[in-house]
Amino acid sequence: MKAIPTLIRQAGTLVMLAMASHAVLAADPVKIGVPVGLSGANSVVAPSVVQAAQLAVDEINAKGGILGRQVSLEVADDGSGAAGAQKAFDSLIFDKKVNALISMETSAARNAGLPIVTRGKVPFIYTSFYEGRSCNRYMYVDAWVPDQQVAPIVDYFVKQYHAKTFFLIGSDYAFGRGMLDFTKTYIEKQGGKVVGNEYLPMDGSDWTPIISKLQGAKPDAIITSTAGGAPNVTLTKQLRAAGVRVPYGNLAVDEGTAKSMGVDAEGIYISGSYVTNIDTPANKTFMAAMQKRFGSDLKTPNDLSVPEYEAIYLYKAAVEKSGSFDTAKVIPALAQVSFDGPRGTIQMSKQRHTPLTMYLGQVQANGSVKVIQSFKNVDPGAQCPALK
Amino acid sequence: MLNLGLDIATTAAILFIVSAGLLMVFGVMKIINFSHGAFLTVGGYASVIVAHAGLGWWWSVPCALAVGFVLGMLVERFIVRPLYARPLDAILATWGLGIIVGQIITLIFGRGVQMVASPVDGAVPFLGTQYSAYRLILVGVAVLVALALGWLVNGTRLGLQTRAVIMNEALARGLGISSARVRFMTFCTGAALASTAGCLITPLASVDPNMGVPWIVGAFMLVLVSGSSLVSLAVASLVLGGAQVLVSTFVNPVLGGLTIAVLAAVLLRFRPEGFARG
Repeated sequence: MKAIPTLIRQAGTLVMLAMASHAVLAADPVKIGVPVGLSGANSVVAPSVVQAAQLAVDEINAKGGILGRQVSLEVADDGSGAAGAQKAFDSLIFDKKVNALISMETSAARNAGLPIVTRGKVPFIYTSFYEGRSCNRYMYVDAWVPDQQVAPIVDYFVKQYHAKTFFLIGSDYAFGRGMLDFTKTYIEKQGGKVVGNEYLPMDGSDWTPIISKLQGAKPDAIITSTAGGAPNVTLTKQLRAAGVRVPYGNLAVDEGTAKSMGVDAEGIYISGSYVTNIDTPANKTFMAAMQKRFGSDLKTPNDLSVPEYEAIYLYKAAVEKSGSFDTAKVIPALAQVSFDGPRGTIQMSKQRHTPLTMYLGQVQANGSVKVIQSFKNVDPGAQCPALK
Repeated sequence: MLNLGLDIATTAAILFIVSAGLLMVFGVMKIINFSHGAFLTVGGYASVIVAHAGLGWWWSVPCALAVGFVLGMLVERFIVRPLYARPLDAILATWGLGIIVGQIITLIFGRGVQMVASPVDGAVPFLGTQYSAYRLILVGVAVLVALALGWLVNGTRLGLQTRAVIMNEALARGLGISSARVRFMTFCTGAALASTAGCLITPLASVDPNMGVPWIVGAFMLVLVSGSSLVSLAVASLVLGGAQVLVSTFVNPVLGGLTIAVLAAVLLRFRPEGFARG
């Protein structure tokens, strides 16, 4: 009866030998760096971004990796700000020697990281919507810019409510002012009139004087762009407490926040390139895969995490098209490849930016977001005309 | 014009409610309680817990009062009392406490924004205009707080002892008044008031681990120009809060946010006793 254990042992040795030789033969894994705000302002959304990246990498590895090499993720905390981003980019590019950087970050973190990307010469796909017109020869963006987000809301208010006068309210920082400056220009181009444009400091919590001005100006519609989280909630609550009921477009609220705001958020219009109930097979497959992979730990996929998922596939496609991991070859290929993801067909073909299908949604009484209208292939406009 | 007047009255009411607890502690103990913002936050989260328990919003007021009082008892006994002789260290200790409380709340409830439903909805007709119902209620609440504190200080034995301690602590102790007890009760009352204020602003603000922070600078300035008198605090809230509304309305809300701090600094430069009777 000793024969069987020996056989098993021999078989085991063979398997181990086979695995060892395989490990020697297979190339090192492809490393994708994900600098993201695990702490600080972005810490609420960052886990969903990491989950989306994990799913993409798992799926790619299960199908044989990129050019036969397995993919591994290197996640680094950028602290949601400039100082943390410098450390994160530096360590990912020069210590971990990542092949590409793919991530969603604050504008401050992105701007701090870009010079390091230029020095390290690695492809960088930025997957966060932002204020626009950030240009670098190593960077691509697969998320929206103001040119794509603002138009659906303004157009809808003009058409549906015959709105002629608009009141704009924001938090006093780069993104808030950038979004509303663009909104103002766009409204005036459409023949509308901006009757008020007011800002409160980012930590301000009493919107009373602005709301009184708003009521005095009697606009047909309001559009707000505050910092995410607390200022957004405070403004919405105080608008509702003051009985303001004109059409209300919010450029800074996401599906999750809207859901938790409950009855105060009802009726708010939002605009973005992703909502969870996009009715396409690709989105349903993606949602089911996320659910299966993360179960009860799943962070709801959103407009910041889905672009991360798609960007990893876009990088894979660009590497396969150019047949190499060489930055000089991958960079031009990134503009030529496309991927059919949860948001539709994504191709970063317009001056390093991406035409996107945008969704205008309205928050319902139960907190869900109902898609009112979709706008196919909204163009990002001239973002980086100087870049080759 | 009427709306402007209502803005000023309601802003002053909110400032008074938020600052009253700080004034109590500063008036009696001559200690700036830097954890005041944390007590506000605790009150906000008390209303979150009440909402999760399925009780109506109004339950959160007594709940916040009780939580604040108990927390005040612990903090006074273990942190503030050993530092009475070292007011500067007490400032550091209460500041550190504020950070610790904020972090504990983050650990329990997470960093995100919590939602509390409003007890009343929207605007009501008032003197021929439409105005936020809840802000009007807060004016009434401020008057109630003022009356209750006034009665506590001027109408009770403890209040009499408190006033004695404010005027001359050494002499009061010579007369057999336990100043330790007066300090203890004052701190607990101050903490309970702060926590209640935090719960009262939840219908107008978001509840998050830093919700107390934007309020404390204004509250400190108001208390510094008011000394230890409730009447001065009411006047200061009305004058400085009114100035804030006027600057925000006619100049710029970003500058409006600075108004209270700047005016208070200028006032103290030329009239060190502020709004208190000198």
